Amino acid sequence: MIETIHLSKSYGKVQALIDLQLRIEQGKVFGFIGPNGAGKSTTMMILSTLLEPTEGEAFVCGYDVRKEPAEVRQSLGYMPDFFGVYDNLTAVEYLDFYAGAFKIAPHKRSSLIADLLELVNLSDKAEAYVDSLSRGMQQRLSLARCLIHDPQVLILDEPASGLDPRARIELREILKQLRCMGKTILISSHILPELAELCDDIGIIEKGRLIACGGLDEVSIRARGVTLMMVKTLRNHHRAALILAENMFVEDLEENMDGFRFRFIGSDHQKAELLQKLIEAEVAVSYFGESSENLEAVFLAITEGVAGR
Amino acid sequence: MKSSSLNPIIVKELRERFRSKKTVWTLALFLLIMGGIPLGFLIVNPIKAGSLGQNKDLFVISAALHYAMICFVAPALTAGAVSGERERQTLNILLTTQLSPRTIIWSKLFTSLAFTSLLVIASMPLYSIVMLYGSVSPEQLLTLALFFGVNIMFLGSLGLFCSTWIKRTAVSTIIAYGIAFFFVVVTGLLFLFLGEILIQLTPDRSLQQEVWGRPELQYLAGINPVIVLFAILGETVLPTIRFDFTPWLFFSCFYLVLSILLVLWSAYLLRPIRRKWWSWKK
Ligand SMILES: Nc1ncnc2c1ncn2[C@@H]1O[C@H](COP(=O)(O)OP(=O)(O)OP(=O)(O)O)[C@@H](O)[C@H]1O
Ligand SMILES: [Mg+2]
Repeated sequence: MIETIHLSKSYGKVQALIDLQLRIEQGKVFGFIGPNGAGKSTTMMILSTLLEPTEGEAFVCGYDVRKEPAEVRQSLGYMPDFFGVYDNLTAVEYLDFYAGAFKIAPHKRSSLIADLLELVNLSDKAEAYVDSLSRGMQQRLSLARCLIHDPQVLILDEPASGLDPRARIELREILKQLRCMGKTILISSHILPELAELCDDIGIIEKGRLIACGGLDEVSIRARGVTLMMVKTLRNHHRAALILAENMFVEDLEENMDGFRFRFIGSDHQKAELLQKLIEAEVAVSYFGESSENLEAVFLAITEGVAGR
Repeated sequence: MKSSSLNPIIVKELRERFRSKKTVWTLALFLLIMGGIPLGFLIVNPIKAGSLGQNKDLFVISAALHYAMICFVAPALTAGAVSGERERQTLNILLTTQLSPRTIIWSKLFTSLAFTSLLVIASMPLYSIVMLYGSVSPEQLLTLALFFGVNIMFLGSLGLFCSTWIKRTAVSTIIAYGIAFFFVVVTGLLFLFLGEILIQLTPDRSLQQEVWGRPELQYLAGINPVIVLFAILGETVLPTIRFDFTPWLFFSCFYLVLSILLVLWSAYLLRPIRRKWWSWKK
């Protein structure tokens, strides 16, 4: 469905994308993960015929993005990371505009628009002005906009950015529905756990290079035995610090108010042994597990772990 | 709500434009200025039965005022057409639809032209006051309407071009005014200066007045809207130019061609992936 061959893009001296080889099969959800400036948006814009690649080729549904842009546009829905809406238009008129832009016959539009609004849970906002909708609603409306010409491929650039947790879950539900409809979806994010549940395959991109690509467990951190751990203690803080510092599987130990954060490179077995030791030393452990608050750090750990392979 | 099979951009632009309060204010202000000045003139020069059909001043004033307003409004209306979409971050989405850059540009131009024409047509009844004074022929009025039309078209495409070429609306508006200023004022000044220099260079006094009839100067005068406007009104500007061609016809052709070129160029600039002329080799 989506294929890139030796795709490169440079903006003047900046190499935004280097020799990208990507292949996404029909009906798959592909998660694209990378830090800021990795080249995710660049790749997506090339695939959406908005940027010209410096070198290499890219195909969407078998169409060349450079030579057959009209066919490519007809077969994909693109949602940019930042987008605006028009003032003084209602949600229905907004979708009607894009339906017109895709040359959908007028008599088909009203039922199509009603269905799409239903899909993204915005039926009650049909007559509301788009600039009065909240960010999350606009995001969902934009998703409906991507689907207006029933494309086979969806390219969503950080669709969850700026959304609260509830809106993220709603969005994920909609995406699952789309996956069931057989759409091929390319979705980008900074945050791995956000995609973990949704994606069949993920690709990790850093500084314009694809450094890992494949099924989630192949790429994921657990297979490589690196976890960002967090331990919270109530008593005997110093004894815990000593034990952790001595443990050979603990790296980058950080101490804060009520606990520690560190990278653990051992197996689950060794993790259990560490906990055992802490308890034997009468450290009052109130929390022992993966760090959940700092997803950026998890992300950094992943990319470092993969790059250093 | 009726979905229409019309060009979607035109429908959307009209909806956006006529739902905003700004549009009403623009129209009101325009009519106030356009109506106020002839009305003031009417108060200063009350109609006397004896002088009917002899006073042309009001016609000249109205036409000049109309022209000034067009110069003011037309570039501003289109100077934000594309850069506005870019600033609102809707342009990229628009470019991934089946609308070709050329359609986008034409429809944007069309809606702006429609609005400027609305301004002009809404102020047309004011010419009925002018008619009271007489001394204006219907052909003159028609030519004047055509002249305005050509100017609206040209200034509109100029604004559109700047809007496509430059990222920011504010900068693009300034540049559009700058280029419009070049055509309206600088070509006129150039014409006068060149004429004066040529007169200085002509030693024979009897031939000096011939200078104004030289073809280069005629063409230069033919592209200056102010000179052409006065030619249409039948008024004489400082040096008497004898045109070997009909000035408004030459003017219209010149600016229509220029407008079409600007529109095509804008459509080319708007294309995300530009096919270069040598690309067939690859
Ligand atoms: N228009 C541009 N001109 C010059 N350099 C650019 C341009 N757009 C992007 N870049 C550069 O290309 C690289 C990749 O940018 P890109 O936007 O693809 O990153 P990203 O992965 O989408 O990042 P983010 O997570 O911040 O959205 C960056 O180093 C950026 O500086
Ligand atoms: Mg991005």
